Amino acid sequence: MSDPTTDVPDPPPGRRGRARDALVVVWIAVALLVLFQGAGVRGGAEELPPGLGRDVVEAVGEPTGWIADNLPFSGRTDQALAWLESDGGPARPAAGDGATTLLVTGDSLSMPLDTELARRYAGGDVAVERDPHVGTGISKSDLVDWTELSAKQVRKHDPRAVVVFIGANEGFGMPAPGGGQAQCCGADWQAAFASRVGRMMEAYLQNGDARVYWLTVPAPRDPARQEIAEAVNGAVFAAAERAGDGVTVIDLDETFAPNGGYSDAIEVDGRERIVREQDGIHLNGAGAAVAADVVQDAVDGDR
Amino acid sequence: MVFPSIEFAIFFPLVLVASWALMPWPRFWKPFILVASYGFYAAASPRYCLLLAAITLANQLGAVLVHRESDERRRRWIVGLTVAFDLAVLGVFKYYGFFADEIGGFLDGIGLGLSPPLLTLALPIGLSFITFQAISYTVDVKRGLLKPGSTLDVAIYLSFFPHVVAGPIVRAREFLPQLRTPRDPRNVAVGAGVVLIVIGLVKKVALADFLAREIVDPVFGVPQAYAAPDVALAAYAYAAQIYCDFSGYTDIAIGVALLCGFVFPQNFASPYRAASFRDFWQRWHITLSRFLRDFLYIPLGGNRGGRWTTARNLMITMVLGGLWHGAAWGFVLWGTIHGLALVVEHQLRGTRLSAPTWVRWLIVFNVVVFAWVLFRAETLTLAMNFLGQLFVSGPATLWTPAVVGAVLVVIGFQLLPPDPLDRLRYRAANLPAPALGIALAIVVALVGATVPSQGVPPFIYFQF
Repeated sequence: MSDPTTDVPDPPPGRRGRARDALVVVWIAVALLVLFQGAGVRGGAEELPPGLGRDVVEAVGEPTGWIADNLPFSGRTDQALAWLESDGGPARPAAGDGATTLLVTGDSLSMPLDTELARRYAGGDVAVERDPHVGTGISKSDLVDWTELSAKQVRKHDPRAVVVFIGANEGFGMPAPGGGQAQCCGADWQAAFASRVGRMMEAYLQNGDARVYWLTVPAPRDPARQEIAEAVNGAVFAAAERAGDGVTVIDLDETFAPNGGYSDAIEVDGRERIVREQDGIHLNGAGAAVAADVVQDAVDGDR
Repeated sequence: MVFPSIEFAIFFPLVLVASWALMPWPRFWKPFILVASYGFYAAASPRYCLLLAAITLANQLGAVLVHRESDERRRRWIVGLTVAFDLAVLGVFKYYGFFADEIGGFLDGIGLGLSPPLLTLALPIGLSFITFQAISYTVDVKRGLLKPGSTLDVAIYLSFFPHVVAGPIVRAREFLPQLRTPRDPRNVAVGAGVVLIVIGLVKKVALADFLAREIVDPVFGVPQAYAAPDVALAAYAYAAQIYCDFSGYTDIAIGVALLCGFVFPQNFASPYRAASFRDFWQRWHITLSRFLRDFLYIPLGGNRGGRWTTARNLMITMVLGGLWHGAAWGFVLWGTIHGLALVVEHQLRGTRLSAPTWVRWLIVFNVVVFAWVLFRAETLTLAMNFLGQLFVSGPATLWTPAVVGAVLVVIGFQLLPPDPLDRLRYRAANLPAPALGIALAIVVALVGATVPSQGVPPFIYFQF
């Protein structure tokens, strides 16, 4: 038998240090990042799904955020690095003269529906703008405040139609309309959620210059998430009723939960096809194509 | 948990301290690092840990039995069953959905209307890497290249957090000997490790994700919306992106391991510098190439059986290598193109046909870029759309100085002579620890500022 130790790769050339040096390097970096960017940990927790990982990051984010808040470095660092911030991708490809803009937005649910719609309208008189904000939610405004973002999107893209598909990261406590904090998923939470959705719809409608197509959250696999999805969808229907004719709510449960509950697969063109991602929340490529059929029918029907 | 994330920034400093504190006492260090590694892996989904444990136990059982057994026929059976188990796990989780859908479509197409049951199985993160490492362990024990390690050591080998989710594919006989004695705390490649982490972060966050966001994802998503200049640039940009994404991950993994006192094999060596396909595969994903060579190509007969047998073996190896990346026809075609290129190159060897190095480089590089289009496109239809748009004239809407500059930098750097770059890395690695710490913080802050609100996208190779 050959000597196995001969197969251990050679370490890269360079000075050898002590383990203590490795700890010094890492902890100096950590200390500097806490001093200059400690608030980022707190904000980062917002992006994470509920669970142990998020709890840990939140627990660490509290003290690091406090340190950053009480020192003058954080704001200055953010200002100094602002020039590096991404503006969210390139401008859309050139569309024909007089093309109207269809904005497809939302959280991760809006992907890959946005790409599917962009493919379908490519080369025509509709220019599809895709603006997904992964990990965001209407009921959590620390990362992205959708009531503000919707107004910004309208200013930036000037859409004639807006497709909204959001609801994978909801269920967070919100200030109740009558004061206090509303916890999901009671009537006061639904009212608070509907109020925010209503403001978004108002922004997208642009006083009747545009139409809004709001997709409901199809029933997720996890029963705990189902309760949230039902509350979200109820609030969306309520807000749409108040918003008036320009808003069409597309009930995706009619398509993706024909038997009233979650289903991995549905019949597509006479064949059973899996239409959901493995997480039991999102639509996969085949599901997005089915959803795009429904959206396209609605959009084209109104043109 | 991905490396460039807040969770890892919390996890790693704590684990590093505890790891070095416990290192002198293997009976404490080993359970600790196993739990830490499983915790790292469980961040994706705790359920996957059970599968990782099952693969570990099955291969350890196979390795121990094959080591004890003297009858060659029985030894073959034991290894065969163990490898079959590994491949069955991989097959069920990675390929079942694809083949069920394809078979269902075929049966439906011929009017039978039958289809296999549809299952939505989540692909455990890093499963392809884990199973290949497990296979390397059992087969190397069978070949007499390695004695079975303790179950604890093998469990650490397969789950060690720097390589568990996306490699590099570390062979058991490279890693297990490093567990025999505690790592020497006076002999740690700190500077080299930090430099690799810094380079990896820049490659992944500042270059790969930037290119994905600015050109690759938009153009590959809706190729019909773009004309030849944008589509051509997107193809080169993807070549740059996938290199930065995967080699960036590997750099960070190797750097993190070095700080923990462990050495991993090199996985990339300026692949776009290659002037032959054989050379390319000695520079790209080196640990996969040598796995395929040692555990597939050579057992098939390698180049020992004449031209046609060699061609057959090359094609089988590369097509299966393509399929290893995922259950899609695009990956199969990608492997087929590389296989054909290797066959042609092999057939031409020894003939009078030759070309200057720069011409060979140009051909190899552009064939590699072309093959990446099939690898990246979500479907073959989209790949055809993409290639078709190369013949559509129109404006260059995405040719910004930043995008073009990033592509040129990534590819151009690989064409530079390696010595000056190595010297630069060597100098940086020799900086004192506080300076390295400050440099690391500055780089993290700089690349962190470029991350959009959506966060850092997963590494491309996580899906494999």
